[in-house]
Amino acid sequence: MTISDRQAVRDAALPRREDIPKDPNRPRWRAVDPAVIVAILVSAGFVLVAIIWPVGKVIGEAFSAEAWPIFERYLTTVQNRILLNTIMLGLTVASLGTLVAFLFAYVQVRVPAPRLVKTMIHVIALLPIVSPPFALAVAAITLFGRSGIITRDIFGLRLDIYSWPDIPFMPPAGLTIVMALTFFPIAYIMLTGMMRALDPSLDEAAANLGASRWHTFRKVSLPLLAPGIASAFLLLFVEALADLGNPLVLGGSYTVLASRMYIAIVGEYNLTAGSVLAVMLLVPALVVYFVHRYYANKSSIVSVSGKPSGRHAEIKSRPIRWLLLWTVLAIVGLIVLLYGTIVVGSFTKLLGVNHAFTLEHFEAVLFGYGFEAVTDTVTLSAIATPIAGVLGVVVAFLVVRRRFWGRGTLDFGVMLGVAIPGTIFGIGYLLAFNTPTEIFGITVFPKLTGGAAFLGGAIAIVMVFILRSAPGGLRSGTSSLQQIDPAIEEAATSLGSSQQHTFRRITLPLIRPAFLAGLIYSFARAMTAISAVIFLTTPEVRIMTAQILNEVDAARYGNAFAYCVVLIIIVLVAIGILSFLVGSRTDAEQSSGGGTWG
Amino acid sequence: MGLTAQGKDGTSAPATLSLERLSKHFRSPEGAAVKAVDDITIELSGGSFVTLLGPSGCGKTTTLRMIAGFENPTTGRIMLDGKDLVRLTPDKRGMGMVFQSYALFPHLTVHDNVAFGVQLQGKKGRELEATIDAALDLVNLHGLGSRKISELSGGQQQRVALARAMAIEPRVLLFDEPLSNLDAKLRVSLRSEIRRIQQQLGTTSVYVTHDQAEAMALSDVVVVMNAGRIEQAGPPDVVYRRPATRFVADFIGRANFLSGDVLAARGETVDISMMGEAMQIPSGGGHRAGDTAVVVARPESIRVGDGALRARVKGSTFLGSYVEYELELGDGQENMLAVDGEWMSHGIHSPGEDIAWTLVPERAYALPASPPTAD
Repeated sequence: MTISDRQAVRDAALPRREDIPKDPNRPRWRAVDPAVIVAILVSAGFVLVAIIWPVGKVIGEAFSAEAWPIFERYLTTVQNRILLNTIMLGLTVASLGTLVAFLFAYVQVRVPAPRLVKTMIHVIALLPIVSPPFALAVAAITLFGRSGIITRDIFGLRLDIYSWPDIPFMPPAGLTIVMALTFFPIAYIMLTGMMRALDPSLDEAAANLGASRWHTFRKVSLPLLAPGIASAFLLLFVEALADLGNPLVLGGSYTVLASRMYIAIVGEYNLTAGSVLAVMLLVPALVVYFVHRYYANKSSIVSVSGKPSGRHAEIKSRPIRWLLLWTVLAIVGLIVLLYGTIVVGSFTKLLGVNHAFTLEHFEAVLFGYGFEAVTDTVTLSAIATPIAGVLGVVVAFLVVRRRFWGRGTLDFGVMLGVAIPGTIFGIGYLLAFNTPTEIFGITVFPKLTGGAAFLGGAIAIVMVFILRSAPGGLRSGTSSLQQIDPAIEEAATSLGSSQQHTFRRITLPLIRPAFLAGLIYSFARAMTAISAVIFLTTPEVRIMTAQILNEVDAARYGNAFAYCVVLIIIVLVAIGILSFLVGSRTDAEQSSGGGTWG
Repeated sequence: MGLTAQGKDGTSAPATLSLERLSKHFRSPEGAAVKAVDDITIELSGGSFVTLLGPSGCGKTTTLRMIAGFENPTTGRIMLDGKDLVRLTPDKRGMGMVFQSYALFPHLTVHDNVAFGVQLQGKKGRELEATIDAALDLVNLHGLGSRKISELSGGQQQRVALARAMAIEPRVLLFDEPLSNLDAKLRVSLRSEIRRIQQQLGTTSVYVTHDQAEAMALSDVVVVMNAGRIEQAGPPDVVYRRPATRFVADFIGRANFLSGDVLAARGETVDISMMGEAMQIPSGGGHRAGDTAVVVARPESIRVGDGALRARVKGSTFLGSYVEYELELGDGQENMLAVDGEWMSHGIHSPGEDIAWTLVPERAYALPASPPTAD
């Protein structure tokens, strides 16, 4: 090395005056990685094309000239019952679902019971997550409907499950109960996590200061859990507003926005009316969803001081213990009864009429005309799952670890995928992609939906699967990343690792459980999706959930049950395979936590 | 109006707490029976500050939680002024507890946290406010009542926890490693504050810690626990100077253990031959001529630089006010730690040097021959 070489090296190493950043908070040394820019552009592009544009089309359609009379009809005439019905259904389902979730969570955390019983309660409570959203509704009709096995055959009642108990403005009890059982698992997981995170010494401190158990529950536990309870309630409210399957199957004449929207599109092919209804649903759903997020964030910082220690004190009073445990076990019994009906019904000619054993339903589903639906659904879900999982984790990484303009907007944009009811995406896709997309006369996308769509509409379906599933991965990825000290990544960088290498070798392995949870959630969500996809299925691409609805419409309950059983098994097997592939245990298992003995 | 150690029933004398043959057995996850606390008996006189000291798992926290009522004893009694507490639920015991995690109610302000227990005692209006003010004054948090808990530093949070516990004018104050979440400097200043407040109020206090410096600085009585049993209970200087067992000597302060042959026992002292030297050393008793005795030699009881004994310097660490030496004795003895505060007079020795040393006999202590059992 010559002297002039050394001089050049020294010059290069020393920052020149104009290189020194003006703003000391701005780290000049962290060059922007091209991969980060690509990731931002791709995810932002997805949000724009798959979420913003279709929903924008719906809003545009709803505010077109011919839409005003329709608005008037639904808001001022007798038809405004539909909006009121929707809100009432949301409120009753959210109240009942939150109550059930709270009971389950409370029993898990605070009531002493054999470990086996608690694990059983936990597993059964999670069953609705991996099954099609209206599986319980179909089972409920068979058991409690007009010719129900329990209501008619056992008790001799002629109960009309579609309307009972006929209280003005109130939804049918059957619909409320089934929807509460369908949606409560999410609230149960949220509340269990919150109760476990509460520092047990808070209860002890209250007792120590002279507070009775009831006083402690009212003045300490309940206020601390209030944001979580509010958050769970609001989430269930949004789910109930947006649900299409259950109101279609169990609603009878109690029409809500989502089911009216379905009739407007599928029955009347009136996209404008559908859009008007969609906007009426969009506004409350979005508002409530983001109020829910506000409370969810608030409740995640419950413990402000010190580290939680010890274990949660269990309920001592025997009567209260038994009351709580047996209430929960009764609900568990109902869930088991409903799922048992699905399984038994899939092997029976026709439950309630002809109880002969048969395999014909499975033959039809697996080897007959249902075969195509099974393979199509699994294929499209399998394509969507990794994309949704990676999208969720990458956006989580960008949002938590990188500073760039529009960071919050990107997070918000991806979250719109679950905040906006699926039916609205269904209509939006019909409006946006029913013709080839052209910019300045150049075709960007071919026709993606409806008859003669490109690939039979499979692309639109996959896009919907992704946008509905990515938010789950985003949330679990975000919370997981926030718990990892950035110094760990900085250590890798200081050892000479590039940003991509650090992400692959350090960050990704650390958030692997969250990534796995995201994948499982994505797959289960795609397999059981109905509200958006029902508008997008074509004769070439069949989706199982839509097929189940057809079978229910045609009163072929046996086939519907067989579909449900096959779908649940596929989801469970996929969870097993994913857990094995990603090499981590599922987070479904849990510890009851040992005490600390000084 | 100030706070006092006065109980609800109007007795003004500080409470006497005694644990009588107290045990707590757990079943471990593997199914084995664990004696977390194994038959301990101790009396805490009124107004005293007692520390339960020991390594983790020694049963000190379990003992404290039994006193508070969060654990039920397997056997034994917990007597407060002659009344058994075991059947009382925690909320009826009138004991103020300060938690390791502070356990402040995050949804309440500082004022409302302190008010929580006082309101439950039925105080209202001016009386309530006066009590809260007095409690906040006591911990030097005057005027911070309207703050949220999340707006306070760790040290301030622990002061609120202290104020909250004292505001109910408890019969006994309980502390569960209250300083372990704070940094070293704060630990020392809060430590002296806790002592000051306890002296001022005269409330009988039980304090759990694994930090022996904390225990010595705070306590009237240190109770050293190990494996669920009490190894020794006594004033800090006695425990340090006359440890009952090798465990206590090792756990409190630093200790060298030398072995020697007992020549003659004389009651308070014992004649011992060690490394060819005969010395008269204070003794815990129980020795007979011909026995082997274990002698505790604190690093400061060794004089470096003169004397009849020889050792090789293995390591030397300069620490300013003193020099610390690791000495190799040979003759079957363990290596020994010595400190030399006189280095300015005779210089610093380097590793490898052979030096003269001696044990100052009256500063050493021969452990009792057979350790008396805890009960």
